[in-house]
Amino acid sequence: MKAIAYLNQFFGQVGGEDQADYEPTLHEGTLGASGLLNSLMPHVEVTHTVVCGDNFAASHTEEAIKRILGFLEDKEFDLFFAGPAFMAGRYGNACGAIGKAVKERFGVPVISSMNEENPGVEMYKQALYIFPGGRKATFMKKDLEVMAAFGEKLATGQPLQCASEEGYYVRGIRHEVFLEEPVMAADRAVAMMLKKLKGEPFVSELPIPKMDKVTPAPAIPDLSNMTIALVTSGGIVPSDNPDRIQSASATKWGKYDISELEVFPVPDYKTIHAGYDPEAADTVPDRVVPLDAMRAYEKEGRFKKLYDYYYVTVGTGTTQGEAARMGREIAEDLKKAGVDAVILTAT
Amino acid sequence: MRLEIGNFHVKEMTFGAKTAFSKGVLSINKEEALQVVREDEHIISAELHIVNPGDMVRLCPVKEAVEMRCKVKGGTHLFPGVTGELAPAGEGTLHALKGASVIVVGEHWGSFQDGLIDMGGPFQRNTLFGALRNLVLVADTDEVFEQREQQKKNRALRWAAMRLAEYVGSCLKDLTPEETEVFDLPPLNERSPEVQKLPGVVYVLQPQTQMEALGYNTLIYGWDGNRMLPTFMHPNEILDGAVVSGSFMPVSSKISTYQWQNSVTIRKIMAEHGKTLNFLGIIMSNLNVAMDQKQRSAQMVASMASNLGAAGAFVAEEGYGNPDVDFIQVLVELEKVGVKTVGIANECTGRDGASQPLVAIDEAANAIVSCGNVSQYLELPPMPVVLGELEAMARDGLSGGWEGCVKEDGSLVMENNGMFCADGVCGASLKTCREF
Repeated sequence: MKAIAYLNQFFGQVGGEDQADYEPTLHEGTLGASGLLNSLMPHVEVTHTVVCGDNFAASHTEEAIKRILGFLEDKEFDLFFAGPAFMAGRYGNACGAIGKAVKERFGVPVISSMNEENPGVEMYKQALYIFPGGRKATFMKKDLEVMAAFGEKLATGQPLQCASEEGYYVRGIRHEVFLEEPVMAADRAVAMMLKKLKGEPFVSELPIPKMDKVTPAPAIPDLSNMTIALVTSGGIVPSDNPDRIQSASATKWGKYDISELEVFPVPDYKTIHAGYDPEAADTVPDRVVPLDAMRAYEKEGRFKKLYDYYYVTVGTGTTQGEAARMGREIAEDLKKAGVDAVILTAT
Repeated sequence: MRLEIGNFHVKEMTFGAKTAFSKGVLSINKEEALQVVREDEHIISAELHIVNPGDMVRLCPVKEAVEMRCKVKGGTHLFPGVTGELAPAGEGTLHALKGASVIVVGEHWGSFQDGLIDMGGPFQRNTLFGALRNLVLVADTDEVFEQREQQKKNRALRWAAMRLAEYVGSCLKDLTPEETEVFDLPPLNERSPEVQKLPGVVYVLQPQTQMEALGYNTLIYGWDGNRMLPTFMHPNEILDGAVVSGSFMPVSSKISTYQWQNSVTIRKIMAEHGKTLNFLGIIMSNLNVAMDQKQRSAQMVASMASNLGAAGAFVAEEGYGNPDVDFIQVLVELEKVGVKTVGIANECTGRDGASQPLVAIDEAANAIVSCGNVSQYLELPPMPVVLGELEAMARDGLSGGWEGCVKEDGSLVMENNGMFCADGVCGASLKTCREF
């Protein structure tokens, strides 16, 4: 396998802090720390090394990413290494930002190492494999060995174990596994209960992740000039469901013309949402998407215009990730159309 | 309350001249059994099969599973208020065929809550029914009103499974069991001081009851769980058929009637009773749709647990997604009144594994046993024999399938969501979720 490594000005042998504004460059083969990395991996060849000054990466991040992605555009590589960055904050963030961009653009695994106190860990652990590393450069060999071992594992196609066994910081990516030692859920529950009752330490199998709370936008004082759109996760679609939106665990959204409609005609529209009793919604779809009420308010002049399309998906069982993606796509479309506000209905 | 369950281990299942059990061999008179199935005129076509662990057979769309049993003393029917007159459950003697189940499969039509079982191959281990000897009823009905509906009550087929379980189980009536399990849990005030010194625990159950229309939800003594408030029950009542599974929950999260009859968590807490814990009983709650309903049930569960003197509560939800709100709410309310909780639930992290595992989360939910991932992506090779209609997985809105998921060669891709009762939220799961 082929790999490309990213280093800062110091470990790429350009110079110290006085060279921190060094602009990104691409070098054939290895350089400084990437030479040691290369020597640790019999099945991986480090073909190129990217070097960039920490200041340049921190203050011109977009530009640094753009140039580096440009360097890599015509290169063949299967892995990308960044760092190790120890406790160096700017270097950690640079490894993270550039590594994430490389992963998204080229779809290759990105391997890094940072000390747990490096702010780059919190920011980028979801995007890359970041291994816990030492506080300073005296740990260079040790940290590189960890990165190299994982690179070898990927290169030789060995099956990957869970994050805690491989050793990288957890990424918030959860999959099911069959337990190596088969212990029934009920037995695990009783064992956990006995520990909890005694005040002994126990490990929950589902650590509560950080909340991703969206603060509702402030109220709009004057609606008279506003174009408002209707968006719903309630599954009201034209009855033939032209975009085949799924009834549960949806990954698709639809956008349908209502410019000629005063209310949703029945049975031309119905719900395909499998998470609630459809009877009331199929009888009067407007109770899920309040088209009738919006037309009435529109005539009264409460707001300028109801946008000509409404947007729909299905909320039941739909993952947070898919919901966020669809939300972003719908929001972009609405913004392009000059819509000022949205009424979002759920069920 | 004292319940004795006499066990008869099935080593071989076969069709024969007489429905009888002898020396580990269960013989079934197919014609008689089919007559029992056809007692319901809505069943228009029916066939029986026997499948064993390791058989290269795929069952789909599977609707329900029931253990074959016979009430010998203290009642007449397996499911009071459902297959027979209302009567108390939980006392007396049952005889049960172990290592075996009745499974009912739709001949043509699948529904949202139906699933798949592989009896052999790499996915045999994904459902506990892959390890059982199963009497499989494949049947069709004249319930045309719901034939093309995604949500089906599946009434005729589910009731046929229960009748079959009673019919076959009745051959045990006069036999002497190979072993007897005793579930004896006296009233709270009649327990010895040693037992009363142990930390008291309750088991809070949230069966699937979210359909406002009747006929789809879990039944408690024949009563639709949507129309009830949390109530106190003796664990024996559940082991003895007081609860019958519904026909709504996406199937990996479902608790089939077989799993209610054999509740692994109840058995485990019972085994700990008097040793490490004092099992106070079951709080049978429910799952709701409206926020105030969720809140009301959660408060009542917490109040009941607290007033029973519970130090701890096990909480299991038969569902994912919207029901996570009820689940978390109950954990929060219990912890608020000082009852320490352990939750048992599956997760839904998306195909990439990156989504929030439960729809609702709260820091109070700090002890959870994870039973699996609803959205785990599975690629199943073709199976030489399919009982039922595999295309249902793609066509009829089964929760783990989608249009085009079944290939022409009989292989398919699906989410674990459609694996029959695969996550064992009743306590019967050998899976967990991990960070990758």
